[in-house]
Amino acid sequence: MTQPSVVGNVTCLGCGCACDDIDVVVAGDRIVDARNTCQLGRRWFGDGQAPSAVRVDDADVGLEQAVRSAAARLCEAARPLVYLAPGLSCEAQREAVAIADLLRARLDSVTSSTALSSILASQEHGSASATLGELRNRADVVVFWGVDLEARYPRFALRYAPGPAGVHVPDGRRSRTVLAVDVGRATATVGADVRVALDAADELPTLTAIEAFVRSPDASGLFGSLADRLRSTAREIATALLSARYTALVYDAEPDDRTERTGVRFEALASLAQALNDRTRCAALALRAGGNRSGADSVLVAQTGYPCAVDFARGYPRYDPHAGSRLGVLRGHDADTALVVGDATGIPGDVAASLSNLHSVVIGPHASTTAWRARSVIIDTGIDGIHASGTALRTDDVPLPLRATLPGPRSAAETIRAVRSRVRRTLLPGHAAEPTALGS
Amino acid sequence: MYDPANAVDGDVRDVCIEDGRIVASLPESAPRLDARGMVVMPGGVDMHCHVASSSVNVARRLLPEEHSRHHASAPPLDNVVDVPRSGADGTVPTTFTTGYRYAGLGYTTVFDAAVAPIMARTAHSQLDDTPIVDGGFFALLGNDDFLLRLIDAGDRERAHEYAAWVLASVGAYAIKIVNPAGVELWKRGTKEGTDLDTALGSGRVTPRAILETLVDAANTLRLPHAAHIHCNNLGLPGNSATTLATMAALDGRRAHFTHLQFHSYGKSPDGRWRSAAREIVEYVNAHQNVSGDVGQVMFGPAATITADAPVEYLLHKSSGRKWANVDIELETGCGVVPHEYRERNAVAALQWAIGLELFLLSSDPWRLVLSTDHPNGGSFMSYPELVRLLMDRVYRDEQIGRVERRLLAGSALADGLAREYSLSEIAIITRAGPARLLGLRTKGHLGVGADADVTVYMPDDNRASMFSTPRYVVKGGVLVVEEGQLRRAPTGHRLHVRPPFDESVTHDIERYFDQYGTVRFANYPVAGLRDSPLPVGAR
Repeated sequence: MTQPSVVGNVTCLGCGCACDDIDVVVAGDRIVDARNTCQLGRRWFGDGQAPSAVRVDDADVGLEQAVRSAAARLCEAARPLVYLAPGLSCEAQREAVAIADLLRARLDSVTSSTALSSILASQEHGSASATLGELRNRADVVVFWGVDLEARYPRFALRYAPGPAGVHVPDGRRSRTVLAVDVGRATATVGADVRVALDAADELPTLTAIEAFVRSPDASGLFGSLADRLRSTAREIATALLSARYTALVYDAEPDDRTERTGVRFEALASLAQALNDRTRCAALALRAGGNRSGADSVLVAQTGYPCAVDFARGYPRYDPHAGSRLGVLRGHDADTALVVGDATGIPGDVAASLSNLHSVVIGPHASTTAWRARSVIIDTGIDGIHASGTALRTDDVPLPLRATLPGPRSAAETIRAVRSRVRRTLLPGHAAEPTALGS
Repeated sequence: MYDPANAVDGDVRDVCIEDGRIVASLPESAPRLDARGMVVMPGGVDMHCHVASSSVNVARRLLPEEHSRHHASAPPLDNVVDVPRSGADGTVPTTFTTGYRYAGLGYTTVFDAAVAPIMARTAHSQLDDTPIVDGGFFALLGNDDFLLRLIDAGDRERAHEYAAWVLASVGAYAIKIVNPAGVELWKRGTKEGTDLDTALGSGRVTPRAILETLVDAANTLRLPHAAHIHCNNLGLPGNSATTLATMAALDGRRAHFTHLQFHSYGKSPDGRWRSAAREIVEYVNAHQNVSGDVGQVMFGPAATITADAPVEYLLHKSSGRKWANVDIELETGCGVVPHEYRERNAVAALQWAIGLELFLLSSDPWRLVLSTDHPNGGSFMSYPELVRLLMDRVYRDEQIGRVERRLLAGSALADGLAREYSLSEIAIITRAGPARLLGLRTKGHLGVGADADVTVYMPDDNRASMFSTPRYVVKGGVLVVEEGQLRRAPTGHRLHVRPPFDESVTHDIERYFDQYGTVRFANYPVAGLRDSPLPVGAR
């Protein structure tokens, strides 16, 4: 057996925290350990093995043939959809947007299913936010609002807040006051100084009352209809927030089904954070899950002007976020052929079921292990961040390098680029192909 | 040909191009472009705009309604390599559209003026997607926690090494200072303005100390561009006192003061705004070490995007428009608020007038150049309109007649300024001047050895029309605009520097990262940039 070697400072995409302090231990062609990881990180790195199948309509074929078939099907499509699953580097995401533009396709990502309400709220009202290092170094009051850190962002407390010491919080946890707000069944899993439990139905009135207290501490008379218990809870939280030099309000931008994903809820959280800035400082952090989801939003915003739910049908990007949220019930006029890029195992169930009814081209890690079989082109790729280098964004949009720690199948970026080059030759015959260098 | 760097002022000449550069001569058989009767200038150089950064993306994300109104179809390129890309226009265009629009105006070099070093990868990635133009960015250092610690410790030489390390690590071109100490004070909860000697923690850390340190860093490191300074108290009435004090504090040092319009506000005894353009421009005129760009306000929609986050908070409170803020760890801030400058709004009209006064009272176009601080004072797409205001007094006077004059009493513009810029002066403030201030030796002129970035205009008495649709644009020897149409979109170059630094400084930085960072020291530098760094020390 080969002597194990260690690759340091590796970025993990197991969740949006994008911890970049992972030591990956490699022996032969396998990852045998990933030090500093949490359970999500251990699962994300796994043993570094990824299948490398290439199939057209369930038959094994060579890569060139698969690329040709993929391009042909996309060019023949009346209404193509390019769908970004999690797990792509920003470089691969840029390729995917480029092919969507070329195909005049619909373009969407997992964001439309999981984080749309949070994004629409921030587009409507703006946001008061910060990068995670500001929480680490400055936040003396940290509110975890219904966010299940242990299950969803396991190292957050240790790496960002409230655990570590920072420039303005020299004693770390002891320099901070931690409020945990449980909302219905959504428990804020963190060791807290103050814990408040709200019924799910009381969340919005409580947030509204906190904001009113923040805007006007004498607002007690304004809440005749609010139960005494909620009024005192709201006052207690508002008082704690106003005592802060710098509050961090941390919540999940894409909570699981324990929490309502309504727009008004996210508007209330964002609005509270903005209002606190009239009296002290506050940053709201709406956390995103793994697989470089923030990167997808950022790439789409830069190239199209919109973070998700884009349609190029008219030859320019249009934003149709409410159609995007219906991805789970695609009909014929919505799309007839899908190009799915990224880790298809990370697509929400209803969307995956909907997409698998279409003619599909699936390019990404583990593509061959997903439900797409008949009528599909399947190209397994390596995993960005394990087999391919590149860039990913942390949940707060801080960019980090992805390191290739193992050799593996061809990268998603180069595979998408090869398909795009072929599509271009078909759709724009006067255009010469870009030179591409495809791996095995 | 108008090539003021080579003292060519409207002479009839040939421009010879080979392998992307200007050469002395070509064989008779070389293909020719007939530019008889036209106006030939070097490609435009924008030394201060916001087009490629995480903060620009915050603005793009905040403005979907604007993009919806200003969709941008892919241009009909006919080159066999460049696949055209669609996008959105508006005050903050998408990446590809930004490149097309700049080239369509005859601009071939563009600098994003404010990038948080920790976000540099995002800036590079957006520049990679901004075709045609050569581009780079300035690194925000004026509120950097590690730098402030070195200043606090009295170790300014070490601070110079640190600045060099940052520029080299993230692929930046110059040092940017934004509201020194003021952004950090905002993060600590202060919402008031900042004076030069406001203490940040210890009395040793003040805006004055930060400015001296970073201005000296740029000059000691012999960077091609001086420290690029956005003064304290942007946008506040009476801030001209701060601006003048800052200029005086730098006492003979080479320094660039950006968007001076936003820093040239006086205050009447009754507390009202008034123009202080004359005081500011007279100082600039009299001091060879100082340069500036104007940051003209143009009427219409704008998007304010700045690292000066407290300013955006105040603008949000006063205008009621939506507001995005991002405190960026240990380095800087970011704020975004959409805005509109209206002719009938007294403050907007004053801002517009002050910008024009700065231009019209400037005695040295080489040291006071054109910008709108895109998109803060208005879009770069309004540059042709600004050129018309500068070149055409009759037109300008008509426009003055349309604006709200309540705050214009005593302004030089209201009293009547007859000056009209010549084509040569326009060539200076839009290309030759910025290129010289940036230390770009192969840009902004058409001498032998220069980059073959050339813009050809069809003369038109309506200077806005003339400058908005160049007949030809050549970028790096490639004809990108032909008969007024964008036809090719080659990849631009990355402009950055890699000043040398004492390696021992990295040990302290690494220790600091271990103690306070959330990104590993090893993951901070950006590798694999598109082009080699430009030389330093050759000024």
